[in-house]
Amino acid sequence: MDLFQLEMKVNGEAVSVPVNPGLRLLDVLRDVLHLSGTKEGCGEGECGACSVIIDGELVDSCLVLAPQAHNREIITIEGISADGELDTLQSAFLEAGAVQCGYCTPGMILAAKVLLSKNPKPGRQDIARGIAGNLCRCTGYAKIIKAVELAAAGLQQKEGEAGV
Amino acid sequence: MSETSIVGKTVLRVDGPAKVRGESRYGADIDIPGALFLKVLRSEVPHGLVKRIDAAEALKIPGVVRVFTHADVPGENSYGIIVKDQPALTDKVRFRGDALALVAAETDVAAKRALEVIKVEIEELPPLYDVWAAMDEKAPEIHAKGNILTVSRVKKGDVDAALETAAVVVSRRYTTQRVEHCYIETEAGVAYMDDDTLVIKAGTQNPHYDRRDVSRVLGLPINRVRIVQSATGGGFGGKLDISVQCFLGLAALKLGRPVRIVYDRRESIIATGKRHPFFVEYTSAATKEGKLLAVKAKIVGDTGAYASYGPATLNRAAVHATGPYEVLNVDIKALCVYTNNPFSGAMRGFGTPQMAFVAESQMDLLAQALQLSPLEIRRRNVLRPGSLTATGQRLDKSVGIGATLEAAWEKACQVMPGLGGEAR
Repeated sequence: MDLFQLEMKVNGEAVSVPVNPGLRLLDVLRDVLHLSGTKEGCGEGECGACSVIIDGELVDSCLVLAPQAHNREIITIEGISADGELDTLQSAFLEAGAVQCGYCTPGMILAAKVLLSKNPKPGRQDIARGIAGNLCRCTGYAKIIKAVELAAAGLQQKEGEAGV
Repeated sequence: MSETSIVGKTVLRVDGPAKVRGESRYGADIDIPGALFLKVLRSEVPHGLVKRIDAAEALKIPGVVRVFTHADVPGENSYGIIVKDQPALTDKVRFRGDALALVAAETDVAAKRALEVIKVEIEELPPLYDVWAAMDEKAPEIHAKGNILTVSRVKKGDVDAALETAAVVVSRRYTTQRVEHCYIETEAGVAYMDDDTLVIKAGTQNPHYDRRDVSRVLGLPINRVRIVQSATGGGFGGKLDISVQCFLGLAALKLGRPVRIVYDRRESIIATGKRHPFFVEYTSAATKEGKLLAVKAKIVGDTGAYASYGPATLNRAAVHATGPYEVLNVDIKALCVYTNNPFSGAMRGFGTPQMAFVAESQMDLLAQALQLSPLEIRRRNVLRPGSLTATGQRLDKSVGIGATLEAAWEKACQVMPGLGGEAR
Protein backbone atom coordinates (compact mmCIF):
# COMPACT_ATOMS: atom_id res chain seq x y z
CA MET A 1 0.00 0.00 0.00
CA ASP A 2 1.25 3.50 -0.82
CA LEU A 3 1.94 5.53 2.27
CA PHE A 4 0.46 8.99 2.66
CA GLN A 5 2.74 11.82 3.77
CA LEU A 6 0.59 13.37 6.46
CA GLU A 7 1.42 16.94 7.34
CA MET A 8 -0.36 18.65 10.18
CA LYS A 9 0.20 20.82 13.19
CA VAL A 10 -0.18 18.96 16.47
CA ASN A 11 -0.18 20.94 19.70
CA GLY A 12 1.60 23.79 17.96
CA GLU A 13 4.32 21.71 16.32
CA ALA A 14 4.56 20.86 12.63
CA VAL A 15 4.40 17.10 12.03
CA SER A 16 5.18 15.24 8.83
CA VAL A 17 4.84 11.46 8.93
CA PRO A 18 4.29 8.74 6.32
CA VAL A 19 1.18 6.78 7.30
CA ASN A 20 -1.10 4.08 5.97
CA PRO A 21 -4.00 6.17 4.59
CA GLY A 22 -6.46 3.69 6.11
CA LEU A 23 -5.47 4.69 9.63
CA ARG A 24 -7.74 6.84 11.69
CA LEU A 25 -6.44 10.11 13.12
CA LEU A 26 -6.85 8.41 16.52
CA ASP A 27 -4.36 5.69 15.50
CA VAL A 28 -1.86 8.25 14.18
CA LEU A 29 -2.02 10.22 17.42
CA ARG A 30 -1.74 7.17 19.67
CA ASP A 31 0.43 4.71 17.77
CA VAL A 32 2.59 6.92 15.53
CA LEU A 33 2.98 10.08 17.64
CA HIS A 34 2.62 8.28 21.02
CA LEU A 35 0.08 10.80 22.31
CA SER A 36 -1.89 8.27 24.35
CA GLY A 37 -3.92 10.88 26.22
CA THR A 38 -6.47 10.56 23.41
CA LYS A 39 -8.52 7.44 24.29
CA GLU A 40 -10.60 4.97 22.35
CA GLY A 41 -13.88 4.03 24.00
CA CYS A 42 -16.23 2.83 21.30
CA GLY A 43 -14.59 3.37 17.92
CA GLU A 44 -17.83 4.63 16.40
CA GLY A 45 -18.30 8.21 17.52
CA GLU A 46 -20.64 7.52 20.43
CA CYS A 47 -18.55 8.13 23.54
CA GLY A 48 -16.27 11.10 22.83
CA ALA A 49 -13.23 9.60 24.62
CA CYS A 50 -11.18 10.22 21.47
CA SER A 51 -12.19 13.89 21.16
CA VAL A 52 -9.58 16.28 19.79
CA ILE A 53 -9.81 19.86 18.59
CA ILE A 54 -9.36 20.30 14.82
CA ASP A 55 -9.16 23.92 13.66
CA GLY A 56 -11.09 25.02 16.72
CA GLU A 57 -13.87 22.42 16.46
CA LEU A 58 -14.42 19.39 18.68
CA VAL A 59 -14.11 16.17 16.63
CA ASP A 60 -14.15 12.43 17.39
CA SER A 61 -10.74 11.35 16.12
CA CYS A 62 -11.99 7.77 15.61
CA LEU A 63 -14.21 9.03 12.78
CA VAL A 64 -11.45 10.94 10.96
CA LEU A 65 -9.24 9.20 8.40
CA ALA A 66 -5.63 10.27 8.67
CA PRO A 67 -5.56 12.05 5.26
CA GLN A 68 -8.55 14.16 6.35
CA ALA A 69 -6.29 15.72 8.98
CA HIS A 70 -3.81 16.84 6.31
CA ASN A 71 -2.85 20.52 6.68
CA ARG A 72 -5.10 20.90 9.71
CA GLU A 73 -4.30 22.10 13.20
CA ILE A 74 -4.88 19.53 15.92
CA ILE A 75 -4.97 20.09 19.68
CA THR A 76 -4.93 17.07 22.02
CA ILE A 77 -5.05 16.92 25.81
CA GLU A 78 -1.25 16.99 25.85
CA GLY A 79 -1.35 20.38 24.15
CA ILE A 80 -3.49 22.45 26.45
CA SER A 81 -1.24 23.08 29.43
CA ALA A 82 1.14 25.92 28.62
CA ASP A 83 4.71 25.42 29.88
CA GLY A 84 3.70 22.54 32.14
CA GLU A 85 1.22 24.68 34.08
CA LEU A 86 -2.24 23.20 34.32
CA ASP A 87 -4.85 24.91 32.17
CA THR A 88 -7.72 26.62 34.06
CA LEU A 89 -10.03 23.80 32.97
CA GLN A 90 -7.64 21.11 34.16
CA SER A 91 -7.36 22.76 37.59
CA ALA A 92 -11.13 23.21 37.78
CA PHE A 93 -11.71 19.51 37.02
CA LEU A 94 -9.39 18.60 39.90
CA GLU A 95 -10.90 21.12 42.28
CA ALA A 96 -14.52 20.16 41.56
CA GLY A 97 -13.85 16.41 41.91
CA ALA A 98 -14.85 15.93 38.28
CA VAL A 99 -12.20 13.25 37.71
CA GLN A 100 -12.80 9.68 38.80
CA CYS A 101 -11.53 6.88 36.57
CA GLY A 102 -10.23 9.61 34.27
CA TYR A 103 -10.79 7.82 30.98
CA CYS A 104 -13.34 10.34 29.66
CA THR A 105 -11.43 13.26 31.19
CA PRO A 106 -9.19 14.25 28.24
CA GLY A 107 -12.16 14.34 25.84
CA MET A 108 -14.35 16.05 28.39
CA ILE A 109 -11.78 18.81 29.02
CA LEU A 110 -11.35 19.39 25.29
CA ALA A 111 -15.14 19.55 24.82
CA ALA A 112 -15.31 22.14 27.59
CA LYS A 113 -12.40 24.01 26.02
CA VAL A 114 -14.25 24.35 22.72
CA LEU A 115 -17.45 25.34 24.51
CA LEU A 116 -15.73 28.13 26.47
CA SER A 117 -13.96 29.39 23.37
CA LYS A 118 -17.35 29.99 21.77
CA ASN A 119 -19.39 30.85 24.84
CA PRO A 120 -17.34 32.25 27.73
CA LYS A 121 -20.37 32.55 30.03
CA PRO A 122 -22.30 29.32 29.55
CA GLY A 123 -25.36 28.45 31.65
CA ARG A 124 -25.81 24.92 33.04
CA GLN A 125 -27.89 23.94 30.01
CA ASP A 126 -25.22 25.27 27.63
CA ILE A 127 -22.60 23.24 29.46
CA ALA A 128 -24.73 20.09 29.39
CA ARG A 129 -25.19 20.58 25.64
CA GLY A 130 -21.49 21.31 25.18
CA ILE A 131 -20.45 17.98 26.72
CA ALA A 132 -23.40 15.99 25.33
CA GLY A 133 -21.12 14.07 22.97
CA ASN A 134 -18.86 12.86 25.78
CA LEU A 135 -19.95 9.96 27.95
CA CYS A 136 -18.87 9.52 31.57
CA ARG A 137 -19.92 6.45 33.58
CA CYS A 138 -18.47 7.47 36.96
CA THR A 139 -19.49 10.98 37.93
CA GLY A 140 -23.11 11.40 36.89
CA TYR A 141 -21.95 14.65 35.20
CA ALA A 142 -22.93 17.02 38.05
CA LYS A 143 -19.33 17.61 39.12
CA ILE A 144 -18.17 17.93 35.54
CA ILE A 145 -20.72 20.69 34.94
CA LYS A 146 -19.58 22.30 38.20
CA ALA A 147 -15.97 22.14 36.99
CA VAL A 148 -16.83 23.93 33.74
CA GLU A 149 -18.71 26.60 35.70
CA LEU A 150 -15.65 27.06 37.93
CA ALA A 151 -13.36 27.31 34.93
CA ALA A 152 -15.63 29.83 33.20
CA ALA A 153 -15.66 32.00 36.33
CA GLY A 154 -11.88 31.66 36.64
CA LEU A 155 -11.33 32.68 33.03
CA GLN A 156 -13.68 35.68 33.43
CA GLN A 157 -11.70 36.79 36.45
CA LYS A 158 -8.36 36.40 34.66
CA GLU A 159 -9.68 38.38 31.72
CA GLY A 160 -10.92 41.12 34.05
CA GLU A 161 -7.53 41.35 35.72
CA ALA A 162 -5.77 41.43 32.38
CA GLY A 163 -8.06 44.22 31.21
CA VAL A 164 -7.28 46.48 34.19
CA MET B 1 -13.33 15.79 68.11
CA SER B 2 -9.62 15.65 67.41
CA GLU B 3 -8.30 17.29 64.28
CA THR B 4 -7.48 14.85 61.47
CA SER B 5 -5.50 15.48 58.35
CA ILE B 6 -8.07 14.33 55.78
CA VAL B 7 -11.37 13.17 57.34
CA GLY B 8 -14.08 15.70 56.55
CA LYS B 9 -11.86 17.65 54.20
CA THR B 10 -11.71 17.88 50.44
CA VAL B 11 -8.56 16.18 49.23
CA LEU B 12 -7.26 16.34 45.68
CA ARG B 13 -6.89 12.90 44.09
CA VAL B 14 -3.28 11.74 43.98
CA ASP B 15 -3.83 10.45 40.44
CA GLY B 16 -5.75 13.58 39.41
CA PRO B 17 -2.99 15.72 37.87
CA ALA B 18 -1.79 12.88 35.60
CA LYS B 19 -5.38 12.18 34.56
CA VAL B 20 -6.22 15.78 33.58
CA ARG B 21 -2.97 15.96 31.62
CA GLY B 22 -3.71 12.73 29.77
CA GLU B 23 -0.54 11.17 31.16
CA SER B 24 -2.07 8.23 33.04
CA ARG B 25 -1.27 4.92 31.37
CA TYR B 26 -4.29 2.65 30.95
CA GLY B 27 -4.01 -0.91 29.66
CA ALA B 28 -3.98 0.11 26.00
CA ASP B 29 -1.52 2.97 26.59
CA ILE B 30 1.46 0.98 27.81
CA ASP B 31 4.36 1.26 25.41
CA ILE B 32 5.83 -2.17 24.82
CA PRO B 33 8.06 -2.29 21.75
CA GLY B 34 8.01 -5.49 19.73
CA ALA B 35 4.85 -6.80 21.36
CA LEU B 36 2.70 -9.30 19.51
CA PHE B 37 -0.99 -8.52 19.07
CA LEU B 38 -3.48 -10.95 20.57
CA LYS B 39 -7.04 -11.60 19.34
CA VAL B 40 -9.61 -14.04 20.66
CA LEU B 41 -11.82 -16.26 18.52
CA ARG B 42 -15.23 -16.43 20.17
CA SER B 43 -18.07 -18.87 19.72
CA GLU B 44 -21.00 -17.89 17.52
CA VAL B 45 -23.18 -20.62 19.03
CA PRO B 46 -24.45 -20.60 22.63
CA HIS B 47 -24.11 -24.24 23.66
CA GLY B 48 -22.09 -27.12 22.29
CA LEU B 49 -19.08 -29.39 22.40
CA VAL B 50 -15.93 -28.36 20.55
CA LYS B 51 -14.96 -31.28 18.33
CA ARG B 52 -12.11 -29.85 16.32
CA ILE B 53 -10.23 -26.57 15.85
CA ASP B 54 -8.18 -26.32 12.65
CA ALA B 55 -5.79 -23.37 12.52
CA ALA B 56 -3.72 -24.52 9.51
CA GLU B 57 -4.97 -21.74 7.20
CA ALA B 58 -4.51 -19.09 9.88
CA LEU B 59 -0.89 -20.11 10.43
CA LYS B 60 -0.17 -19.51 6.72
CA ILE B 61 -1.02 -15.81 7.03
CA PRO B 62 2.20 -13.75 7.12
CA GLY B 63 2.73 -12.39 10.61
CA VAL B 64 0.68 -14.99 12.44
CA VAL B 65 2.94 -16.53 15.06
CA ARG B 66 0.78 -18.97 16.97
CA VAL B 67 -2.78 -20.08 17.56
CA PHE B 68 -3.62 -21.43 21.03
CA THR B 69 -6.60 -23.61 21.99
CA HIS B 70 -7.74 -25.38 25.14
CA ALA B 71 -5.15 -28.09 24.44
CA ASP B 72 -2.38 -25.54 25.04
CA VAL B 73 -3.46 -24.51 28.54
CA PRO B 74 -0.70 -25.87 30.79
CA GLY B 75 -2.44 -25.74 34.19
CA GLU B 76 -6.01 -26.22 35.44
CA ASN B 77 -8.17 -24.80 32.66
CA SER B 78 -10.72 -23.19 34.98
CA TYR B 79 -10.92 -19.96 36.91
CA GLY B 80 -13.47 -17.95 38.85
CA ILE B 81 -13.74 -15.85 41.97
CA ILE B 82 -16.08 -18.15 43.90
CA VAL B 83 -16.43 -21.27 41.73
CA LYS B 84 -13.65 -22.35 39.35
CA ASP B 85 -16.00 -23.04 36.43
CA GLN B 86 -14.79 -20.79 33.60
CA PRO B 87 -12.15 -22.06 31.15
CA ALA B 88 -9.57 -19.71 29.68
CA LEU B 89 -10.01 -21.40 26.28
CA THR B 90 -12.91 -23.80 26.20
CA ASP B 91 -13.71 -27.22 24.80
CA LYS B 92 -17.35 -26.81 25.81
CA VAL B 93 -19.23 -23.72 24.69
CA ARG B 94 -21.67 -22.34 27.26
CA PHE B 95 -22.54 -18.95 25.77
CA ARG B 96 -22.22 -17.07 22.49
CA GLY B 97 -18.89 -15.39 23.13
CA ASP B 98 -17.01 -18.18 24.90
CA ALA B 99 -13.29 -18.10 24.00
CA LEU B 100 -12.26 -20.88 21.56
CA ALA B 101 -8.83 -19.84 20.33
CA LEU B 102 -6.20 -17.17 20.88
CA VAL B 103 -4.15 -15.76 18.01
CA ALA B 104 -0.76 -14.10 18.45
CA ALA B 105 0.48 -12.11 15.45
CA GLU B 106 3.00 -9.44 14.52
CA THR B 107 0.22 -7.03 13.54
CA ASP B 108 -3.33 -6.32 14.56
CA VAL B 109 -4.48 -6.89 10.97
CA ALA B 110 -2.84 -10.32 10.69
CA ALA B 111 -4.44 -11.39 13.97
CA LYS B 112 -7.87 -10.28 12.76
CA ARG B 113 -7.45 -12.13 9.45
CA ALA B 114 -6.46 -15.27 11.30
CA LEU B 115 -9.73 -15.23 13.24
CA GLU B 116 -11.65 -15.37 9.96
CA VAL B 117 -10.02 -18.58 8.70
CA ILE B 118 -9.80 -20.74 11.83
CA LYS B 119 -12.19 -23.64 11.32
CA VAL B 120 -14.14 -24.79 14.35
CA GLU B 121 -16.38 -27.82 14.46
CA ILE B 122 -18.96 -27.69 17.26
CA GLU B 123 -21.56 -30.32 18.12
CA GLU B 124 -24.43 -28.08 19.14
CA LEU B 125 -26.52 -28.70 22.25
CA PRO B 126 -29.97 -27.20 22.90
CA PRO B 127 -29.48 -23.69 24.37
CA LEU B 128 -31.18 -22.62 27.60
CA TYR B 129 -31.92 -18.91 27.68
CA ASP B 130 -34.52 -19.00 30.43
CA VAL B 131 -33.94 -19.68 34.14
CA TRP B 132 -37.20 -21.62 34.49
CA ALA B 133 -36.29 -23.90 31.57
CA ALA B 134 -32.78 -24.32 33.00
CA MET B 135 -34.24 -25.48 36.36
CA ASP B 136 -36.37 -28.16 34.69
CA GLU B 137 -35.20 -31.62 35.73
CA LYS B 138 -34.94 -32.70 32.10
CA ALA B 139 -32.93 -29.66 31.02
CA PRO B 140 -29.50 -30.37 29.52
CA GLU B 141 -26.75 -29.70 32.04
CA ILE B 142 -24.64 -26.63 31.31
CA HIS B 143 -22.14 -27.62 34.00
CA ALA B 144 -21.56 -31.12 35.35
CA LYS B 145 -23.05 -30.31 38.76
CA GLY B 146 -26.40 -29.20 37.32
CA ASN B 147 -27.96 -25.87 36.49
CA ILE B 148 -28.93 -24.72 39.99
CA LEU B 149 -25.66 -23.42 41.38
CA THR B 150 -26.66 -22.23 44.86
CA VAL B 151 -29.76 -21.81 47.02
CA SER B 152 -29.74 -19.19 49.77
CA ARG B 153 -32.37 -19.12 52.52
CA VAL B 154 -33.36 -16.46 55.03
CA LYS B 155 -36.02 -17.63 57.49
CA LYS B 156 -37.46 -15.97 60.58
CA GLY B 157 -40.75 -16.42 62.46
CA ASP B 158 -43.85 -18.05 60.98
CA VAL B 159 -44.80 -16.56 57.63
CA ASP B 160 -47.81 -18.81 56.96
CA ALA B 161 -49.46 -17.93 60.27
CA ALA B 162 -48.77 -14.22 59.71
CA LEU B 163 -50.35 -14.36 56.24
CA GLU B 164 -53.57 -15.69 57.77
CA THR B 165 -53.94 -12.88 60.28
CA ALA B 166 -52.89 -10.05 57.93
CA ALA B 167 -55.35 -7.32 56.95
CA VAL B 168 -53.79 -7.00 53.52
CA VAL B 169 -51.67 -9.32 51.38
CA VAL B 170 -50.04 -8.25 48.11
CA SER B 171 -48.39 -10.74 45.74
CA ARG B 172 -46.63 -9.82 42.52
CA ARG B 173 -44.03 -11.10 40.06
CA TYR B 174 -41.13 -8.87 39.08
CA THR B 175 -38.43 -9.14 36.47
CA THR B 176 -35.33 -6.99 36.07
CA GLN B 177 -33.08 -6.76 33.06
CA ARG B 178 -29.47 -7.63 32.26
CA VAL B 179 -27.21 -4.54 32.44
CA GLU B 180 -23.78 -3.95 30.89
CA HIS B 181 -21.34 -1.94 33.03
CA CYS B 182 -20.10 -0.09 29.97
CA TYR B 183 -17.03 1.43 31.59
CA ILE B 184 -15.58 3.81 29.00
CA GLU B 185 -12.24 1.92 28.94
CA THR B 186 -12.51 -1.53 27.41
CA GLU B 187 -10.40 -4.39 28.75
CA ALA B 188 -6.74 -4.14 27.76
CA GLY B 189 -3.23 -4.96 28.88
CA VAL B 190 0.27 -6.21 28.17
CA ALA B 191 2.45 -9.05 29.42
CA TYR B 192 6.10 -10.02 29.25
CA MET B 193 8.63 -12.31 30.91
CA ASP B 194 11.04 -10.73 33.38
CA ASP B 195 13.56 -13.59 33.66
CA ASP B 196 11.30 -16.44 34.77
CA THR B 197 8.61 -14.18 36.22
CA LEU B 198 5.49 -13.48 34.22
CA VAL B 199 4.46 -9.82 34.43
CA ILE B 200 0.93 -8.81 33.43
CA LYS B 201 -0.13 -5.17 33.39
CA ALA B 202 -3.84 -4.72 32.83
CA GLY B 203 -6.90 -2.79 33.88
CA THR B 204 -8.46 -4.72 36.77
CA GLN B 205 -10.26 -4.32 40.07
CA ASN B 206 -8.81 -7.53 41.48
CA PRO B 207 -5.04 -7.89 41.01
CA HIS B 208 -4.63 -10.42 43.86
CA TYR B 209 -7.37 -12.71 42.62
CA ASP B 210 -6.07 -12.33 39.07
CA ARG B 211 -2.70 -13.53 40.28
CA ARG B 212 -4.13 -16.68 41.83
CA ASP B 213 -6.19 -17.58 38.78
CA VAL B 214 -3.41 -16.88 36.29
CA SER B 215 -1.03 -19.02 38.32
CA ARG B 216 -3.63 -21.82 38.43
CA VAL B 217 -4.44 -21.72 34.71
CA LEU B 218 -0.79 -21.53 33.63
CA GLY B 219 0.47 -24.03 36.20
CA LEU B 220 3.00 -21.52 37.50
CA PRO B 221 3.95 -21.12 41.15
CA ILE B 222 2.28 -17.97 42.41
CA ASN B 223 5.63 -16.29 43.13
CA ARG B 224 6.37 -16.36 39.39
CA VAL B 225 3.28 -14.31 38.51
CA ARG B 226 3.16 -10.54 38.97
CA ILE B 227 -0.01 -8.58 38.27
CA VAL B 228 0.34 -4.82 37.99
CA GLN B 229 -2.89 -2.86 37.88
CA SER B 230 -2.67 -0.21 35.18
CA ALA B 231 -4.82 2.90 35.45
CA THR B 232 -8.32 1.45 35.19
CA GLY B 233 -10.97 3.31 33.24
CA GLY B 234 -14.02 2.33 35.24
CA GLY B 235 -15.06 -1.06 36.56
CA PHE B 236 -18.27 -0.89 38.59
CA GLY B 237 -17.75 -4.56 39.50
CA GLY B 238 -17.21 -5.65 35.90
CA LYS B 239 -13.43 -5.70 36.15
CA LEU B 240 -13.40 -7.98 39.20
CA ASP B 241 -13.49 -10.98 36.85
CA ILE B 242 -10.64 -12.28 34.74
CA SER B 243 -10.89 -10.89 31.19
CA VAL B 244 -7.61 -10.54 29.28
CA GLN B 245 -5.22 -11.74 32.02
CA CYS B 246 -5.03 -15.46 31.17
CA PHE B 247 -4.73 -14.77 27.43
CA LEU B 248 -1.85 -12.36 28.03
CA GLY B 249 -0.15 -14.76 30.43
CA LEU B 250 -0.50 -17.82 28.21
CA ALA B 251 0.95 -16.12 25.13
CA ALA B 252 3.80 -14.34 26.93
CA LEU B 253 4.78 -17.52 28.78
CA LYS B 254 4.63 -19.84 25.75
CA LEU B 255 6.20 -17.46 23.25
CA GLY B 256 8.68 -15.67 25.50
CA ARG B 257 7.79 -12.41 23.80
CA PRO B 258 5.92 -9.35 25.01
CA VAL B 259 2.26 -9.34 24.02
CA ARG B 260 -0.63 -6.90 24.10
CA ILE B 261 -4.39 -7.12 23.80
CA VAL B 262 -7.19 -4.54 23.57
CA TYR B 263 -10.87 -5.48 23.41
CA ASP B 264 -12.98 -3.36 21.12
CA ARG B 265 -16.35 -2.28 22.45
CA ARG B 266 -18.19 -5.15 20.77
CA GLU B 267 -15.94 -7.76 22.36
CA SER B 268 -16.12 -6.00 25.72
CA ILE B 269 -19.90 -6.24 25.66
CA ILE B 270 -20.04 -9.80 24.33
CA ALA B 271 -17.38 -11.40 26.50
CA THR B 272 -17.62 -9.84 29.96
CA GLY B 273 -20.02 -10.01 32.91
CA LYS B 274 -23.36 -8.29 33.36
CA ARG B 275 -25.75 -7.35 36.15
CA HIS B 276 -27.93 -10.39 37.00
CA PRO B 277 -31.46 -10.35 35.60
CA PHE B 278 -33.80 -11.27 38.48
CA PHE B 279 -37.12 -13.11 38.42
CA VAL B 280 -38.93 -12.57 41.71
CA GLU B 281 -42.18 -13.81 43.21
CA TYR B 282 -42.87 -11.65 46.24
CA THR B 283 -45.65 -11.58 48.82
CA SER B 284 -45.97 -8.89 51.49
CA ALA B 285 -48.47 -8.79 54.33
CA ALA B 286 -49.40 -5.97 56.70
CA THR B 287 -51.81 -5.09 59.50
CA LYS B 288 -54.57 -2.57 58.87
CA GLU B 289 -52.33 0.06 60.50
CA GLY B 290 -49.75 -0.59 57.81
CA LYS B 291 -47.25 -2.48 59.94
CA LEU B 292 -45.39 -5.14 57.94
CA LEU B 293 -46.18 -8.64 59.20
CA ALA B 294 -44.53 -10.92 56.68
CA VAL B 295 -42.49 -11.20 53.51
CA LYS B 296 -42.24 -14.35 51.44
CA ALA B 297 -40.12 -14.34 48.30
CA LYS B 298 -38.56 -16.58 45.72
CA ILE B 299 -35.72 -14.93 43.83
CA VAL B 300 -34.09 -16.49 40.78
CA GLY B 301 -30.95 -14.87 39.40
CA ASP B 302 -29.73 -15.65 35.88
CA THR B 303 -25.98 -16.03 36.29
CA GLY B 304 -25.59 -17.09 32.67
CA ALA B 305 -22.81 -19.40 31.55
CA TYR B 306 -20.49 -18.94 34.54
CA ALA B 307 -20.81 -18.35 38.27
CA SER B 308 -18.61 -15.26 38.58
CA TYR B 309 -19.99 -13.44 41.64
CA GLY B 310 -23.44 -15.04 41.21
CA PRO B 311 -23.59 -16.95 44.53
CA ALA B 312 -22.64 -13.80 46.47
CA THR B 313 -25.09 -11.68 44.48
CA LEU B 314 -28.01 -14.01 45.20
CA ASN B 315 -27.00 -14.34 48.82
CA ARG B 316 -26.98 -10.57 49.14
CA ALA B 317 -30.36 -10.42 47.37
CA ALA B 318 -31.85 -12.78 49.95
CA VAL B 319 -30.37 -10.87 52.88
CA HIS B 320 -31.63 -7.51 51.59
CA ALA B 321 -34.96 -8.73 50.20
CA THR B 322 -37.02 -6.98 52.88
CA GLY B 323 -35.47 -3.57 52.12
CA PRO B 324 -34.75 -1.11 54.95
CA TYR B 325 -37.88 -2.24 56.82
CA GLU B 326 -38.50 -4.29 59.92
CA VAL B 327 -40.40 -7.49 59.14
CA LEU B 328 -41.22 -10.01 61.86
CA ASN B 329 -41.81 -13.06 59.70
CA VAL B 330 -39.59 -13.75 56.72
CA ASP B 331 -39.16 -16.62 54.28
CA ILE B 332 -36.79 -15.91 51.40
CA LYS B 333 -35.32 -18.35 48.92
CA ALA B 334 -32.77 -17.15 46.37
CA LEU B 335 -31.48 -19.37 43.59
CA CYS B 336 -28.46 -18.76 41.41
CA VAL B 337 -29.05 -20.50 38.08
CA TYR B 338 -26.87 -21.25 35.07
CA THR B 339 -28.20 -20.53 31.56
CA ASN B 340 -26.56 -20.13 28.15
CA ASN B 341 -26.76 -16.35 28.43
CA PRO B 342 -23.75 -14.03 28.90
CA PHE B 343 -22.44 -14.56 32.41
CA SER B 344 -23.57 -12.27 35.22
CA GLY B 345 -21.39 -11.09 38.06
CA ALA B 346 -20.73 -8.14 40.29
CA MET B 347 -22.27 -4.80 39.47
CA ARG B 348 -22.72 -1.94 41.90
CA GLY B 349 -24.93 -3.21 44.73
CA PHE B 350 -24.56 -6.99 44.24
CA GLY B 351 -28.25 -7.83 43.82
CA THR B 352 -29.58 -5.23 46.25
CA PRO B 353 -30.68 -2.69 43.58
CA GLN B 354 -32.86 -5.36 41.98
CA MET B 355 -34.42 -6.16 45.36
CA ALA B 356 -34.87 -2.47 46.21
CA PHE B 357 -37.03 -2.14 43.09
CA VAL B 358 -39.12 -5.10 44.22
CA ALA B 359 -39.41 -4.24 47.93
CA GLU B 360 -40.22 -0.56 47.28
CA SER B 361 -42.81 -1.43 44.62
CA GLN B 362 -44.46 -3.70 47.18
CA MET B 363 -44.50 -0.90 49.78
CA ASP B 364 -46.31 1.37 47.30
CA LEU B 365 -48.87 -1.33 46.56
CA LEU B 366 -49.49 -1.96 50.27
CA ALA B 367 -49.91 1.79 50.82
CA GLN B 368 -52.43 1.90 48.00
CA ALA B 369 -54.39 -1.04 49.41
CA LEU B 370 -54.46 0.54 52.90
CA GLN B 371 -55.10 4.09 51.63
CA LEU B 372 -51.94 5.34 53.28
CA SER B 373 -49.42 7.65 51.65
CA PRO B 374 -46.23 5.98 50.35
CA LEU B 375 -44.32 8.08 52.88
CA GLU B 376 -46.48 7.11 55.84
CA ILE B 377 -46.28 3.37 55.30
CA ARG B 378 -42.49 3.64 55.13
CA ARG B 379 -42.38 5.77 58.30
CA ARG B 380 -44.23 3.04 60.14
CA ASN B 381 -41.81 0.30 59.10
CA VAL B 382 -38.28 1.69 58.74
CA LEU B 383 -35.48 0.02 60.67
CA ARG B 384 -34.52 1.92 63.82
CA PRO B 385 -31.88 1.49 66.50
CA GLY B 386 -32.97 -1.66 68.30
CA SER B 387 -34.68 -3.21 65.25
CA LEU B 388 -34.06 -6.81 64.21
CA THR B 389 -33.16 -7.38 60.55
CA ALA B 390 -34.48 -10.30 58.49
CA THR B 391 -31.37 -12.28 59.44
CA GLY B 392 -31.86 -11.59 63.14
CA GLN B 393 -29.17 -8.97 63.58
CA ARG B 394 -30.02 -6.36 66.19
CA LEU B 395 -29.14 -2.87 64.92
CA ASP B 396 -27.90 -1.32 68.14
CA LYS B 397 -26.12 1.76 66.86
CA SER B 398 -26.88 4.18 64.07
CA VAL B 399 -29.62 3.48 61.51
CA GLY B 400 -29.99 6.30 58.99
CA ILE B 401 -33.05 5.37 56.95
CA GLY B 402 -35.64 7.19 59.11
CA ALA B 403 -33.77 10.51 59.08
CA THR B 404 -32.98 10.06 55.38
CA LEU B 405 -36.64 9.54 54.57
CA GLU B 406 -37.69 12.71 56.43
CA ALA B 407 -34.89 14.76 54.83
CA ALA B 408 -35.87 13.50 51.36
CA TRP B 409 -39.50 14.39 52.01
CA GLU B 410 -38.58 17.87 53.23
CA LYS B 411 -36.46 18.45 50.12
CA ALA B 412 -39.20 17.10 47.86
CA CYS B 413 -41.70 19.55 49.36
CA GLN B 414 -39.25 22.40 48.76
CA VAL B 415 -38.62 21.65 45.11
CA MET B 416 -42.16 20.45 44.31
CA PRO B 417 -44.52 22.84 46.12
CA GLY B 418 -47.58 21.12 44.65
CA LEU B 419 -46.77 17.86 46.45
CA GLY B 420 -49.18 18.60 49.29
CA GLY B 421 -46.67 17.90 52.05
CA GLU B 422 -48.77 19.70 54.64
CA ALA B 423 -51.69 17.27 54.17
CA ARG B 424 -49.57 14.22 54.92
